[in-house]
Amino acid sequence: MLKRSKVKSYIAKFPRFENESLSLYYAPRMPKAMIRETEEAVALARKFNDEVARPLSLELDRKTHENPDYLPVELVKKANEWGFYTMWIPKLFGGKGFNLPSISYFLEEVGSVCVGIANVIGVHYLGMAACMMLSNTRIIKKVMSDVVEGEKTGEPCLISYCITEPAAGTDVEEVDLEAKGRLGCSARKVAGGYVLNGSKIFISNGHFSTWNVVYAYADLKKGVDTKVALMVKRGMKGFSLGTHENKMGQRVCPASVLNFEDCFVPDELVAMDPDIIKSFTKKTPRDVNMQHIDYVFSISRAGVGAFGIGAARGAFEAALKYANETEIDGKPMVTYEWVQCRLAEMYANVRLGRLAYTEANLANQHRGAYNLLQMKPIYYYLRYLPASYFKKVIAPLLDKPIATWILSKWYIDWQKPKDQQLTTGLASMAKFSCTDLGVRNCQMALELMGKAGLRQDSGAEKIIRDAKLLQIYEGTNQLNRINLFKSIVAPACPKATFFEE
Amino acid sequence: MLTALNNDLKPFEDLITKFSREELKPHVEVHDRYPFGNLDAGIIESGFHKIYDLGFLGIMLPEKYAGIGQGISTLCMMLGHVAEVDASYSLIIFTSALSQEIILNAQVGGIAEKIYPKAKDAKEYLVAFPSFTDPGQSKILPEALSSGKGYTLTGKLDYLVLGSFSKWAVIPARTPSSKGYSFFLVNLNDKGVTKSDPVFSLGLHACPIIDISLNGVSARIIGEEGEGERYFGAASKIMHAAAAAINAGIMRGSLKEAIEYTKEREQGGRPVVNWSEVRMLLADMAIKSKAADLCVTQTCRAIDENLEDWGRISIAAALHVHDLACEVVTDGVQLLGGNGYMKDYGQEKRYRDARQVQALLGLVPLRKLALIKEIIE
Repeated sequence: MLKRSKVKSYIAKFPRFENESLSLYYAPRMPKAMIRETEEAVALARKFNDEVARPLSLELDRKTHENPDYLPVELVKKANEWGFYTMWIPKLFGGKGFNLPSISYFLEEVGSVCVGIANVIGVHYLGMAACMMLSNTRIIKKVMSDVVEGEKTGEPCLISYCITEPAAGTDVEEVDLEAKGRLGCSARKVAGGYVLNGSKIFISNGHFSTWNVVYAYADLKKGVDTKVALMVKRGMKGFSLGTHENKMGQRVCPASVLNFEDCFVPDELVAMDPDIIKSFTKKTPRDVNMQHIDYVFSISRAGVGAFGIGAARGAFEAALKYANETEIDGKPMVTYEWVQCRLAEMYANVRLGRLAYTEANLANQHRGAYNLLQMKPIYYYLRYLPASYFKKVIAPLLDKPIATWILSKWYIDWQKPKDQQLTTGLASMAKFSCTDLGVRNCQMALELMGKAGLRQDSGAEKIIRDAKLLQIYEGTNQLNRINLFKSIVAPACPKATFFEE
Repeated sequence: MLTALNNDLKPFEDLITKFSREELKPHVEVHDRYPFGNLDAGIIESGFHKIYDLGFLGIMLPEKYAGIGQGISTLCMMLGHVAEVDASYSLIIFTSALSQEIILNAQVGGIAEKIYPKAKDAKEYLVAFPSFTDPGQSKILPEALSSGKGYTLTGKLDYLVLGSFSKWAVIPARTPSSKGYSFFLVNLNDKGVTKSDPVFSLGLHACPIIDISLNGVSARIIGEEGEGERYFGAASKIMHAAAAAINAGIMRGSLKEAIEYTKEREQGGRPVVNWSEVRMLLADMAIKSKAADLCVTQTCRAIDENLEDWGRISIAAALHVHDLACEVVTDGVQLLGGNGYMKDYGQEKRYRDARQVQALLGLVPLRKLALIKEIIE
């Protein structure tokens, strides 16, 4: 009916059809082995839920209420024993190399039992993503080797991403706000490194982590243009842990205060600063800063979307169990149409949310951070070559500056702005949609269950406490709506400006 | 509750706001930790005694029973003001009023006289009740057997509000000879009563709730056998308005804290309150909060003026206010960002409390169906 050239012309118009329907284009391109790998990840999560998460979830929540200072170290050790902290580290860096999108399904499974436990595992990969997207292969290798070693020794080595400051939360997630925000963490250049001063707050897993990816600013008045990314290891002089917050939910995952007082970070642990940026790109430090934020959040927000759907599922499953076990006027509750309709809606919320984070993952796979690892030849090369090959042949190359240069060029200098906008926009969409659906399902479950849902031992009330945090961290759902608009909708609004009203 | 529309409320309003400000506000965070930590039950209970001393536990109880004989407007105004600061204490006042309403609706002599005028303290005056239960919806209730002089109760009852504190409780139970359930007055100090530890719940932590087991406990029937549903229906009709007043108070507290915080906190170099999406969220909260106040005020007026369908108005208003409240408290946390999620601020407690209040008097969907049944039939 239409010539192919015409078809191409129409589907390329805004909104570009390919961008609007990623699963149609990209699902068939997925290496088949990825599906088996994802199935294994989900199966492992279900086994972990049966053996660890379900028995511990309510008990640990109760313990942290009895003693707000209590830190469930045993949970972290269990996750470490199960190999979860290296499962998604690429084989190139010594990990098990599970495909990265599979972590979303894994986190949804664990999150359906306990979002806090899912976060204790998942937020380590936020740290990993932040470290990797800085593209310094020598540092990545060093940090990931420690994580792998921690698994062998039984002493977990986790990574945290440290950006939030006492007076700057949303501001550090968007360069236009960062330029005007009240930043407080300074990095003063000295011979051989930087001296770090200031505090970071709300750092998930802060009290458990060994390595910290810390953002600081060489000039606090021009922070957005002078950002420095430093790797700070627990035990370094001048670095101390403060308190951890007394939160409403997700209480097994501490939100920590990190204090830096004249903490010297040597050059070898400086992952990014304006001079390093100059060495491989002509882009401004501000643009690279935003690009890095977008990369990290494009990964992590899809993960938070999975947490949200985990919560939505947990609430659905609690309501379903209650409806199956309860009678109204002598008839099973599930025989009433109004109950069936509500349970159907809750189930649909889960499925719809999963589609949203799957789209975000597909964007990351083909247009974003996972694109290198998910190319079929590279994927199979990494999958089937033995670990010893990477250790002997590849690992030594990672220490060479050329390796860092190549990775930096690939991820930072050569990335297309349109791809960046698509990945960050869809990740934001998944984040706010899935987490809103999570809270929505929790509310529906409580209404359906009445007083039974209010008891901590029923599990339902904990989910609504846990789920609320999902609407706040990794950028508030308001910031994520603006980011979606800015990244994907704005081309239709030439007059739109951002953060300038 | 728009107290400006009713000058009679002013003296009570001054009293309750002073009490909430001075006696409740300084201790909200600590009391919310109950039953955990080193917090002694005595500290929590001292608040109950203060409420009793001020007469808040008998607001609607006639003066002849040692109450202060006010109407639903006064009760709702007080519940709202207390909830603005700490809704746990609203639940205490609510439960006291609910059990009184059950007893008074049974219109049987002797029981109210036995309890209230003779009470020496809050423990004896404050009658425990399963305020989150519509007993008609419960498949399992204790069994009551007639023993000539009175009755004996055996079985389990869950989620009894103030069961660990009060001497007396109004307990629903089934008798072999009646289709419907009945209410009984039980002395909780009876040796046949076994009490659980306080149940760890979503919200309203400072008002303890327990499960109890009854083993041949002597009980006095309240009203007629099998008529419990009628008494509960009449009591809950008016108490829906009271539950709505609690959530309207929580909403006011949430809005107030959100406005204060967003004026102080900066984002992108200027106060958060100056960003338009933040104002939109605040506006939504304000609209819902004002609408809730109006709902409660007009419901009280409908009850006071004995409008023909005031009962339906009361249920409808409560269901609507609870819906609004759950939305408002969620945005209330959101506007404080990460801080809203922490116990150093009041918003996370309101997020929990509003949902706990929503569950008062039985399942939400069944209350909706009961309302529409009444309207249709």
